[in-house]
Amino acid sequence: MMLKYIGNRILQIAILLVIYVAIVFFLLHAMPGGIKTLLISNPKLTPQAQEAIIRAFGLNQPLWLQFVDYMKNVFTLNLGISFSYYPTPVWNIIAERLPRTVLLFTVATLIAFFVGFASGKSLAWNRGKTTEYVSTIVGIITYTIFTPLLIFVMIWFFGSFLGIFPLNQFLNPDLWIHTRLNAQVIFLYILLTMLIIGMVMLVSYLVALRFSHRVRTRRLIFYLSTIITVVFSVFFWWVSPVGIYAADILWHMVLPVMTVTIISYAGNMLVMRDSMLETIKEDFITTARAKGLPDKVVRDKHAARTAMLPVVTNFVLSLGFVVSGGVITESLFSWPGMGMTLLDSTLAKDYPLAAGALIFTGIFVLFAHLAIDIIYAFLDPRIRY
Amino acid sequence: MTNNPNTTVEMADAKLESPALIRMKLMWRSFKENWKIFSQSKIGMIGLYIVIIFAVAGFIVYPILAATVWKTTSLNAMASYNPVTGYDFVQNNPAPPSWAHLLGTDPLGRDILAQLLYSTPREFMLGIVAALITVIIGTLIGTVAAYFGGALDTFFMRVADIVLLFPFIPFLIVISGMMQVDLLTLALIIGLLSGFGGITIVLRSQALIVKSRPFIESAKISGASDSYIIVNHIIPNVMPLSFLYMMFNVTGAIFSEAVLSFFGLLNIKMSWGLMIYTADTAGYIIGSNIWNYWWLWLPAGASITLLCGAFYFIGRGLDEVVNPRLRKR
Amino acid sequence: MKAVLEIKNLKMYYDTQAGQVKAADDISFSLYEGESMGLVGESGCGKTSVSMSIMRLLPENARIISGNIFFGGKDIVKLSNEEMNKIRWAGISMIFQAAMNSLNPVYRVGDQIIEAITTHEPDVTFEEARQRVASLYKLVGLDPERMDNYPHEYSGGMKQRAVIAMSLACNPKLIIADEPTTALDVIVQDTILRELEKIQKKLNMSMIYISHDIAVIAEVASKIAIMYAGKIVEMSDSVTIFKRPAHPYTVGLMSSFPSIRGAKKELVTIPGEPPNLLNAPDHCRFAPRCPFATDECWKKEPSYEEIEDNHFVACFHPQNLKKQVRANAG
Repeated sequence: MMLKYIGNRILQIAILLVIYVAIVFFLLHAMPGGIKTLLISNPKLTPQAQEAIIRAFGLNQPLWLQFVDYMKNVFTLNLGISFSYYPTPVWNIIAERLPRTVLLFTVATLIAFFVGFASGKSLAWNRGKTTEYVSTIVGIITYTIFTPLLIFVMIWFFGSFLGIFPLNQFLNPDLWIHTRLNAQVIFLYILLTMLIIGMVMLVSYLVALRFSHRVRTRRLIFYLSTIITVVFSVFFWWVSPVGIYAADILWHMVLPVMTVTIISYAGNMLVMRDSMLETIKEDFITTARAKGLPDKVVRDKHAARTAMLPVVTNFVLSLGFVVSGGVITESLFSWPGMGMTLLDSTLAKDYPLAAGALIFTGIFVLFAHLAIDIIYAFLDPRIRY
Repeated sequence: MTNNPNTTVEMADAKLESPALIRMKLMWRSFKENWKIFSQSKIGMIGLYIVIIFAVAGFIVYPILAATVWKTTSLNAMASYNPVTGYDFVQNNPAPPSWAHLLGTDPLGRDILAQLLYSTPREFMLGIVAALITVIIGTLIGTVAAYFGGALDTFFMRVADIVLLFPFIPFLIVISGMMQVDLLTLALIIGLLSGFGGITIVLRSQALIVKSRPFIESAKISGASDSYIIVNHIIPNVMPLSFLYMMFNVTGAIFSEAVLSFFGLLNIKMSWGLMIYTADTAGYIIGSNIWNYWWLWLPAGASITLLCGAFYFIGRGLDEVVNPRLRKR
Repeated sequence: MKAVLEIKNLKMYYDTQAGQVKAADDISFSLYEGESMGLVGESGCGKTSVSMSIMRLLPENARIISGNIFFGGKDIVKLSNEEMNKIRWAGISMIFQAAMNSLNPVYRVGDQIIEAITTHEPDVTFEEARQRVASLYKLVGLDPERMDNYPHEYSGGMKQRAVIAMSLACNPKLIIADEPTTALDVIVQDTILRELEKIQKKLNMSMIYISHDIAVIAEVASKIAIMYAGKIVEMSDSVTIFKRPAHPYTVGLMSSFPSIRGAKKELVTIPGEPPNLLNAPDHCRFAPRCPFATDECWKKEPSYEEIEDNHFVACFHPQNLKKQVRANAG
């Protein structure tokens, strides 16, 4: 049943993807001053290179043929050749940068979700107190603050004033200059480690759920296996000769992650607060109290668990907002991910790369959407697959 | 309630008045009631005050200043206060705040306060035009889709799904990199894009609730046409929610403009985002010394944040009007 | 017989912006082991306020001003919330007004019942708790297989049965059933009430039925208290209430409901609405709607007196007294 549901969703996503690519195509090709004009007027390219690109992408063909070709090319990852990194294919650039964005977003999003969830929960539970008022105001300010402004202050405060985090860049060149290591490889290993930790957490959670009915035992299984995995992987990196390089990358990641978290936690917090306030008034909360359950159990197990559903839904709606915040964050922290690529290529009039980045940002959002849909189906038993 | 003498008297009076007048009176009464609820929301009122302050500064103070003190005369010929082309030769630019330039000057020698005030009405215009387009499209599609249902409904909901998935700012970045986008075009693009998105879903579900109320059925029985019912019964009932979403959309539009001009992607002469862009590209905003040149970025950045925040605050305040469950007891 | 619940002069008021609302004013009654009692009145008369006071589940703006609620000899008004949590469900459980919504939609129904068992009896293992739920399901006429379903997979009547099973989970001494069947259709309503009565007799529990429907209550409760505007206006065993209703309000309530067995007669409705409990008047609260009201009724409140054996009324002009009845018969 579940598989069928996921299959359905993937099919829907595929259709959406085709439509999305079509929109991007017509935006780039069919508009006056589209890609062909820009290609010819680009001074960086020699006439021969221009000819080659026009021939390779069939830019002289009728529009609909071009469209069919383009669609085929997108699905075979043949996205053309970057103007600014000529002759590197666009796909190679994207393949290098996409994982960086995925990591940044996944980590920041998870933190933002849990922080927003927990703080929204306690705001609603402690309604009417001064702390509620202050945190709501702070939340709204961080939610509406002009992102570059926030980043300036973050860079100054943590980078200069406290001096504890590196200002920008993906890594520290002084450290890496003496090694022949490829940063990308290290980075992918970091990603792999995190993936393993995530999988262990998921599996231990499911195992705990399956084999024990006591909350305490479940927690023990979950936390113990998570801690063991984390300790083990930290130890593994510690003894490995490249651990210091991995630490350098992670160190550079802290500020961008913090920024994206700050940008997006408040939205979750405010929705959680409102949703929790509504849930508290539901009859089943009165039932839970009448059953003599301790206050904490009523709050966490009954109210928060049910109030969480709209937060997850809202998360889908705010995804675009978070991605936008990410573009700004990446380019201001010089974190070479999709956002920075998109902006730089646009500014450099490197359209194949800009289009590729736009398409893959869209694909990323689509898959995030799919992931949230599946999580939602798990969380809400009322969803019929 | 039914035997309340006041209502009976009013009903008797109403019979003598034209329907349009009754409608006006009812609207005025519900406006007064809603205003009472809204004015109890502190956050909403703070937002409203901030918006009023900005509006006064942009629409009244700036024109007066530009016509009087900031007018180029023989006395201050050197200190031109034109926000776009002015240049102060007297001092090294960027200059810190002084009596001549209350918020200092930018790297090109232009008065920051003049730039700030000059941009204010433009931000309002952009935000409100974009939000109006969004809300008009969203309300029309939402109500029509809810009222007629069927294939029309499905079609627009799928469109909304696609728009919702669109990475909005990245898309705008690429568009404005390719085309020459000015403020009005941007307002149009933002308005159109978000008009087909999430707002239609929200307004449609509200319209569905309205549609199931008995007065719609009785209007149908009494022979009202579909368009009459939509315009006179459904739209007025989803209006408060539309208005609420309009506030959030103003925030979104001003924010988007600020981001795009911060990256120097828009074809405009002056805006708050562009002010920060100017300072940033001239190299005055670098980690350790941002406070040495605070007047270059803080006034503009704070203005963006405040105005965006203020409209968002109003939205939160309206939320308590529209959504009674959020109200305090 | 021992009193399971004894309420003495309970006063529970709400503080609102407009003023104090006297939701329960000077309520006293006692309930014995195995006894079932009906609390009847129109909506807004304070029935639910009484039951929520007994469970101590009051909203923030509600306060118990004075009075005592003795449960098993302990005054639960004075207990802390933690101490009260031990009494809730294990001592007093409840069947809620809106059974449709009193189950959490995201948990399995069985698990929600098991949760109540394991909270109060930590030594019970999960398997034992499941077995108990299965037998409870059989008791209320549900298929034990269904305990792993979610609430949305139940019909309205099934949810109601599940809620009843849940209320029995910890063998409470007292169950408060607040409008246990109002949301259901008449046939299901009747079946469930009869089963509830059977279970109550079988397990020898005390029970408080709360309803606006005196006819329904009379079939299952041995004792009936009529509430009007936050006060108990009449109380006696159900036979007496039905044969010789003394308070004009009770008389009105009974003629508002069709009787299946009785002769066909026109339904009489009580004119007007229950008074606003905000700033309650100091005259008889029913006077504005009472056909027998005299000047006396508009001057002071009638006292609550025993007019015949075990029959209490707060009225200056009690109706249908024994003497009258006899006189009429003679």
